[in-house]
Amino acid sequence: MENKQSSSPASFVDSTVVPGDVVLDLSSMTNQTIKLGGGLRQDCDAISAMKAGTLRFSKPNKYWIESSQKRYVPCVEDTILGIVVDSKADNFLIDIKGPAMGFLPVLAFEGGTRRNIPKFEVGTLLYLRVVKSNFGMNPELSCTDASGKAAEFGPLKDGYMFETSTGLSRKLLSSPACPVLEALGKKLSFEIAVGLNGRVWVNAASPDTIVVVANAIMNSECLSGAQQIIMVDHLLKNIQ
Amino acid sequence: MEGRLANSWRLTVNDKNFIKTALLSEIRIDGRKPFEYRKISIKFGRQVLASFINVSITEPTFTHLYIYMLIIMVIYREDGSSEVQLGQTRVMGMVTAQLVQPYRDRPKEGILSIFTEFSPMADPSFEPGRPGELAVELGRIVDRGLRESRAVDTESLCILAGKFVWAIRIDLHILDNGGNLVDAANIAALAALLTFRRPECSLGGEDGQEVIVHPPEIREPLPLTVHHLPIAISFGFFSNESILVIDPTHNEEAVMGGRMTTTVNANGDICAIQKSGGEGVPRRVIMQCLQLATSKAASITKQIKDAVRLFSSKIVF
Repeated sequence: MENKQSSSPASFVDSTVVPGDVVLDLSSMTNQTIKLGGGLRQDCDAISAMKAGTLRFSKPNKYWIESSQKRYVPCVEDTILGIVVDSKADNFLIDIKGPAMGFLPVLAFEGGTRRNIPKFEVGTLLYLRVVKSNFGMNPELSCTDASGKAAEFGPLKDGYMFETSTGLSRKLLSSPACPVLEALGKKLSFEIAVGLNGRVWVNAASPDTIVVVANAIMNSECLSGAQQIIMVDHLLKNIQ
Repeated sequence: MEGRLANSWRLTVNDKNFIKTALLSEIRIDGRKPFEYRKISIKFGRQVLASFINVSITEPTFTHLYIYMLIIMVIYREDGSSEVQLGQTRVMGMVTAQLVQPYRDRPKEGILSIFTEFSPMADPSFEPGRPGELAVELGRIVDRGLRESRAVDTESLCILAGKFVWAIRIDLHILDNGGNLVDAANIAALAALLTFRRPECSLGGEDGQEVIVHPPEIREPLPLTVHHLPIAISFGFFSNESILVIDPTHNEEAVMGGRMTTTVNANGDICAIQKSGGEGVPRRVIMQCLQLATSKAASITKQIKDAVRLFSSKIVF
């Protein structure tokens, strides 16, 4: 049975897998390169699952396992929200809700040199990208995109940050837009940054808007699309 | 060193500023008004198992009978345990009793003691092992509220003066820390005390000095005598312009300058006041707090009593 499943890799995509499932067999797909995301590991030719969740595939070649948890397991190329905990000579120590502190090299900023090292006070909220996440090493972060531009990365000013599960933050980032965000966006104007580590930052002109948006997002976790829209309508009616 | 950094929970600068600025326009992050309490839900041991019965209905008839019997046993044992949820905060209370020799200076009084357990599961900053400062303070506040106001009648716990009295032990387990642990723990302790029943005892033997503990199957166990319910209500003070909030959340606790816990009962009697944190509080504000606390205490007392009544009315299965 094991052989039968691994011979048709597509069958596992979008289905639930548990740790130990061999989801892909590389010997049957020799002439292509694939990228592995969170929750997958390679043992020679077998790609097996390391956590329970849904196996996802995005074209052309990326595979990952999606699940919802409170603790974040860092994965390369994820965009996350981190909190500065300490600054050392070479690195900032960043809390990323993971098992280990993230290291943000002081030069990992656009045009970063020894002369213009930024100063962050403890507790600064940063929008970051995971660059390296190897076994037994602290994950390495960066405030630039792959081409070295600042893009949107860097410190977030004002606003309010709250914590959700990793599953909800992934849902918020999905396209087409998550129903709760779409419903809120029709009535209110706000700025939002979602980190895949389950942190969400919201900013708006007035504190009421921030509170409404934050609570609507936190409430939406276990609701279906239609329920989310009803819930948002109800919340907006209450404040008007 | 790094492990400790990873375990401690921290608030961002953004959140600290937001909580303060939003409070200036009387807005709190969970959408409450400054003097609004979070929703309290009180559960007792048996209600946790009620879902178990529903599941078992679908089983074949034979196993039915077996599971029902099992549940009756569990109901029986779950006297004196409660689980209180206050917003995100969850506290479990558990009351047990033991026959012991009384203190020498109080030969006719039973013993009431409170133990707290802060699990690292509730909050990574709680260290396993020795109780922290917060754990001790919480235990003391609950203890003072119950003891100083003589809420539990300890004299009725005496069986044989100088020889045997009941020692009531209240265990408070913090299951999740969403702020304001003191109030939640106090409610859990009260709810557990109200549902606790001790076995009935009588004196016997040749010289009438032997204690016979009657098993619950033979004589109905007795509830404790609780005269009134001292309810702890906590307030948070913020540095600028004496901003006052009731029932602070975890985030607000990290920002606020001072806190005060007032223990009052529904009749308006003040049982205890605990003021901690650096911020000074003017007399006017303390009086305002006490007024607010009295009205809240009345509604919380009603809620606890309703929950207990519902629980004990269902106990006859």
